[in-house]
Parts: sequence; C-alpha cells; structure tokens
Amino acid sequence: MFERYIFRKDSCKNVVKASETVGFEVKTYVSYYRSVPLSMIHKIEITVDGVKSKPEDILFTPDQKEWFTFEEMKTAALYKWEYGEEATIFVKQPGGLSKGEHQVKLEIAIRTPYVPVPFGGAVTRDIVI
Amino acid sequence: MSIKRSVSLYSLQEEYIHKKMSLEDMFKGLENIEADLEFITDQMMKNSPFPRMETLNEWDRLIRTYKVKPICNDIFVNTNLYANRKLKTHEAIDMLIHEIKLAHRLGFGIVRLVSMTPPEIIEPALPYAEAYDVILAMEVHGAMSFDDYETKAFCDIMFRVNSPYLGLVVDTGIFCRNHPKVATNYFLNHGLNPEVAKFIDGIYKSGKDPKQVLGTGMFLGKNQHGQTYPKELTDLFKSEVDALYCMFSCAYENSPIEILDPYLPYVKHFHGKIYDVNEAGIESSIDYKEIFDYLNKKNWSGYVSTEYEGNRFAVEGEEVSGWQQVLRHQSYMKKLIEGSKV
Repeated sequence: MFERYIFRKDSCKNVVKASETVGFEVKTYVSYYRSVPLSMIHKIEITVDGVKSKPEDILFTPDQKEWFTFEEMKTAALYKWEYGEEATIFVKQPGGLSKGEHQVKLEIAIRTPYVPVPFGGAVTRDIVI
Repeated sequence: MSIKRSVSLYSLQEEYIHKKMSLEDMFKGLENIEADLEFITDQMMKNSPFPRMETLNEWDRLIRTYKVKPICNDIFVNTNLYANRKLKTHEAIDMLIHEIKLAHRLGFGIVRLVSMTPPEIIEPALPYAEAYDVILAMEVHGAMSFDDYETKAFCDIMFRVNSPYLGLVVDTGIFCRNHPKVATNYFLNHGLNPEVAKFIDGIYKSGKDPKQVLGTGMFLGKNQHGQTYPKELTDLFKSEVDALYCMFSCAYENSPIEILDPYLPYVKHFHGKIYDVNEAGIESSIDYKEIFDYLNKKNWSGYVSTEYEGNRFAVEGEEVSGWQQVLRHQSYMKKLIEGSKV
C-alpha cells in the first residue's frame, strides 16, 4: 500500500567524507500516512545483492539534524519522523558500493496501534554506481 | 438541523507529500467550496501533539484568514510506542489528555479516537474532555465495527455514562455494496489471482460481506481463534497476494444502513469514505443517496466529511487526484443536502 513511499528513486549513492568513501545512503518517506515517533519504527533493513547489512552499521536521520542508531531509535518516543519528510538511512561500509550495477532492497515496518502486526513493505531497486 | 459538509485532509495526503498543495492551498480550496475541516495533526502538523510556537502561529493565521471551521481532529493513542511493552494505562491516559488539550488549542470540538483505543482510558480522560469542550468519538470502521471487542466496550461505556462528550465517528466504508474496484485493480497489478477477486465479488452478490464469510483478524489465512478461510477459497490461492487481498477485503463491510438505529443519537460525525467517484458524483461502492435519505429521515445533524482513500491504491508514478475526487463528492453531497435532484 505504501510501497510507493519507500526508497526514493535515484536516492542511493555513496557517501564521501573528508575525501574518503565511508558508506552509502538511501532516502525514504515513512511507509504510512502519518508521522510516527522513531520508537515505532519496527524494522529497517537494507540488502545489497542478497547480503543484508548489519543493524549496527545503520544510522538514521528523519530530518538531517540528528542521527540515530537503531538501538537509540527504540527509546526515541518524542522524536518524530514526519509524514512528507525524506529520511536518510546511512550504511557504514568503508569504500561504499563498488562501481557498477547493484540490486538494493529497503524494507521498512512500522508499528501502529490498530493493526496487530507491524506493517510496511520492501522495495528493491536496480542501481548503478 | 441539517447535515453539513467537511473534508478530511486525509483525502489530500498525496497532494501534500508530493508538495502539490500546501496546507494553505487546502484551506483556500475548502473555503471556495464552503466546506469545513477535518484534520490529522499527526499527518500535517509538525511535532504533534507538541507543536512548536511557530507552527501554532501559522495555524492561527490560516484559521484567521480563511472561512473554514476546524471540526474534527483524527488522533491516535500510540499504545505500541515501544517494541518491548504496551503502554501502561496511566501513560495512555496522559497521551489522550495531551491530544485533548491540543485539539482545544486548535479549535476542534471533536477528536476521532482510532478503532482499538483502549476502553479503560476513556472514563479517566472524560473530565478533561468536558473541561476542554472536546468530544471523544470512537471510530466505527470496517473490520473494527460494531461487533469488534474494543468498539463494543467503548459503546458500553458510552451508553452507560451517557455524556454529551462521548460518541462515535462512523466510517461509511461499512456500507459498501461491492468491493472497491480500485483496490481490486491494485491487487490484480500485484499478482492477485482473478478467481480470488471473483470469489470476493460473489460474497457481495449474495448480500453478505467478506467479514461475515471469512472472519476478521486473518493474517496469512488464519486468525487468533484458529479460524481459517473456506477451502474453496484457499484452493484458489496461488501466492501470498491472494491471502493478503482476502485479509484487506474484510476492511469493507456490507451492513444495512439500519445497523445505525440504536447508535445514531451518539453519532457525532461521519467519515464519508470514497474510493472512486465518477463525474456525476456517484461513489463506486457506497450509495450516498441511501445514506443521506436515512440521515434526513432521522433528522440527524452533524458533519459528513469526505475521506478519499483511493489514493492508497496508486502505484508508484501513478497520478491520483484527491482534490478532483473531493470536488466531485462534495458537489454531490451539496445536492443531497439541498434536496435537489441527483
């Protein structure tokens, strides 16, 4: 249902810091029709060419101001990911994605009070670095 | 005494997220069609229920500038705020109180409590509803309507306490006379077996609805009571999309309008659900003439708020026009209210 919000087109790219490629990032809207506190994000998973990224290598920002690890998000009950704001998910990976084609999958699940199971979706994109 | 029109900005979420319409554009549009406002603070008001001063100032400016009255705010008590535990009752009560105070600050007289809101938080929050002049109205929605445990528990409290500050918001999706076509098409695009769609359509043709035949709370074809889908249906399943379609099909109901009889004095507001309204103003699944005839006969007064949901069945890159759908439905409702021929 909300797959069209997940994984913005052309948003996957390597991140360079101090002339060193430190990882890659993707951008996404919340997979729901309203804003949620970060603690209600149940799952964020990134899989590149069939290999899932380790949760501890993932950093998340809902607003380009504050960055959270997945552990930190679990208690961020007052910090919101606003509907309509592109969040950035950064994956630490020295050297980033190698040149060429990759298949990148982003899966997001949100908990919401009136649906008994976390819901969201997964979007896979073929990208070229 | 008469029925009045409002628009839920839920209808315009695609316009909002793709920045085709700002909140101000929506106020302007509503003023043009003389409709009032239903809002979801969690959707279009930043940092809700604790908006910053500048956000409140901007809200006040819009309210001052446009002839649009805030009617109902749709709120959520996030009982599963944390992954490792459900909110304790006291915490959930506090969350509801914050929402009541915000609704009052913004000028709303009704808050819509989402289905499944814990019944035990209602009475402790009621003095705040009274003090801040905000009605607590539980949503009656397909799959979670009058026979649902939480909805029943809320109604028991509502009947017993009999306060003007407790009531219901009824979503007209419980009066679907066929399965919404836009939803079927969406799932067909995602690999739904057409035979499964036919099976569900057949349920409507027999005068029933999927919930009655399949049971609610079905995830992967099974609910918590161990109930499963009928074999003649599961025999048609080719992929998980088929089970998913059947699960979602229970979110629409085919109830007779008279189901409202005992509840109507407590109904504060309607969500006028639309999935696909044609140029003549006719909704594809819900007969608004039937609904308005019933409400007029009963002399019901309050707002019917257009709530467009066809947007969620768009695929990536597909353009949906919530605003066009809103215009068509509002103009049809206007005719129904004025008693002109439709």
